[in-house]
Amino acid sequence: MTRSMNLIRSGLFSLVALGAGGVILLLTPSSSLLGIYTHAVIYAIFALGVGILLRQNGLVSFGHALFFGGAGYGMGLILELHWMSAELALLMVLAVIAVVAFLIALIIVRVPGIAFGMLTLAIGQMAYLLVARARGITGGADGMGIPWPSTLFGVAESALLKPATLFMVSWAVLVVVTFIVHQILCTRFGAVTAAIRDNEERARFIGIKTLLPRALIFALSAVVAGVAGLLAALNTGFISPESLHWSVSATTLLMVVVGGFRHLVGPIVGAIAYFLFKDLLGEWATHSMAIFGVALILVIVFSPDGLTGALERLSNRCRRALRGHLDGSR
Amino acid sequence: MVMNLFNGLVYGSLLIIMSSGLALIYGLRRVVNFAHGALYMLGAYIGYTVALQTGFWAALVVAPLAMALAGVLLDRYGFRLLQDYEPLSVMLVTFGLMLFLEDLVAFIWGKGNYSLFTPSLLNFSVDLFGHSMPAYRIGVIVVGAIVALGLTLWLRHSRIGLFVRAASTDPVTTSMQGVNTDRLSALVVGLGAALAGLAGVVAAPFLSLSPHMGSDVLIDSFVVVVIGGLGSLAGAFAAALLLGMMQAIGAVYLPNVSVLLPFLFMIVVLIWKPTGLAGSRT
Repeated sequence: MTRSMNLIRSGLFSLVALGAGGVILLLTPSSSLLGIYTHAVIYAIFALGVGILLRQNGLVSFGHALFFGGAGYGMGLILELHWMSAELALLMVLAVIAVVAFLIALIIVRVPGIAFGMLTLAIGQMAYLLVARARGITGGADGMGIPWPSTLFGVAESALLKPATLFMVSWAVLVVVTFIVHQILCTRFGAVTAAIRDNEERARFIGIKTLLPRALIFALSAVVAGVAGLLAALNTGFISPESLHWSVSATTLLMVVVGGFRHLVGPIVGAIAYFLFKDLLGEWATHSMAIFGVALILVIVFSPDGLTGALERLSNRCRRALRGHLDGSR
Repeated sequence: MVMNLFNGLVYGSLLIIMSSGLALIYGLRRVVNFAHGALYMLGAYIGYTVALQTGFWAALVVAPLAMALAGVLLDRYGFRLLQDYEPLSVMLVTFGLMLFLEDLVAFIWGKGNYSLFTPSLLNFSVDLFGHSMPAYRIGVIVVGAIVALGLTLWLRHSRIGLFVRAASTDPVTTSMQGVNTDRLSALVVGLGAALAGLAGVVAAPFLSLSPHMGSDVLIDSFVVVVIGGLGSLAGAFAAALLLGMMQAIGAVYLPNVSVLLPFLFMIVVLIWKPTGLAGSRT
């Protein structure tokens, strides 16, 4: 498939996905349910970020909450100190996350395997502890409200904070981010990172500089997590140290693995499945973590490539059965 | 200052008991066991209940035995069946187990905090270096020392210890030489889990019991095991003591950042030596 055909195809797919969001909106009567959907979509973006790192680098992060929660804190601090307009601040926060993540990555992606996971855990927990203790600046353990301005990109805050608008904005961001990430990974850069993930030594032998692409993937995944953090900050208007805790990173990793990280959309499926399932649990929700623990174990044992992997196998089998049936009747 | 060093030694001893179990399990099964903190917590709660019924000393025996059984089952019906899965998958399975066990504890014992009484036999203080030190905490240091010494002697001088060292280096060749590595793994994971249970009971009288107690100690133990070099016992012992001391001294001189010190130390060590102080594995 040529490059322009690919662009058109995924562009069309994105438009369909955008329309699907509108249909979901129309079919959802209650605004509380819509709130849950919005939450799910925001975490889907976050999971997409964590998934990119796992898919393109083969690295597990237990510290991406740093970029998720950090985006909210960055936004809150800039707005509170009136450094710049909110629109500029959004870009500023993402740019800072990109640079910080890139610099961190230059140092830590050299560390292999499990130890990398522990390093991200350490860096994330340091941020959590620092923020929880810096009462004067961040409000400490109580968290801080984010003083959003009365208009954002010309839209009044009251209109923006309607559940329907928040859902559509989050959904559109999810679709656009997925489209951009897909396009980035379709380039030579995507192929190079996949080669490095599969065998770094071999990639180096054929003349690829491996450090820079890996660090760039880390930065990309951090920025995507940061986008989710900004949306979460808009959605709740509040940020607390809990959003930096390692359990947030670990729960997101759970969504990524349940959805299946070999597919780009796997983490998105995982996040949405997580929140829908949690909503279905109803009164059992107090034991949701135990149920998710068991579900995680079952998915890993029976379908190591997650829900998307299972769906793919199922559809392949159906297709084969259908073809067999057609051939037989001929 | 002396008191701080003493408390650092106490916490270091607790970390020795915890992290030696983690290191043993990693050495033989190559599993980073997130459920280790949950086993510690379960040990503490079981110890608490047994201690209220029959006394502390019975709890000190019952809880580790119960956790040993849990560990053997975990190896037989968990790690052994998952041998061919990717390390990441197995790690996430233990994470799922951790979520389950934390909820189970909250379900059985509630979400409140408990604290266990100090056993009357050790409920006195000793004057050392001009400070009165609780005898129970001295006891914790003694238990830590016994565990460290016992494990070292066992691994160095017993036949099974030899098998464990061999299987940690190369499980395939070891099993070809006629060692039943599956039974060996069950034994080692059982022992590791028992040590987590022991750490839980030992910690119960001086740290409070809550459904979150596991994850705090778990992260410190991870830091210890990674700094020491994954799977290396001697490295873990040294790192545990170092970490305990560092937190104790940090609390005096750098009160604001003392909680960050273990993480900073780990980052520095890993960047300098990615396999840890005593490690050769990745």
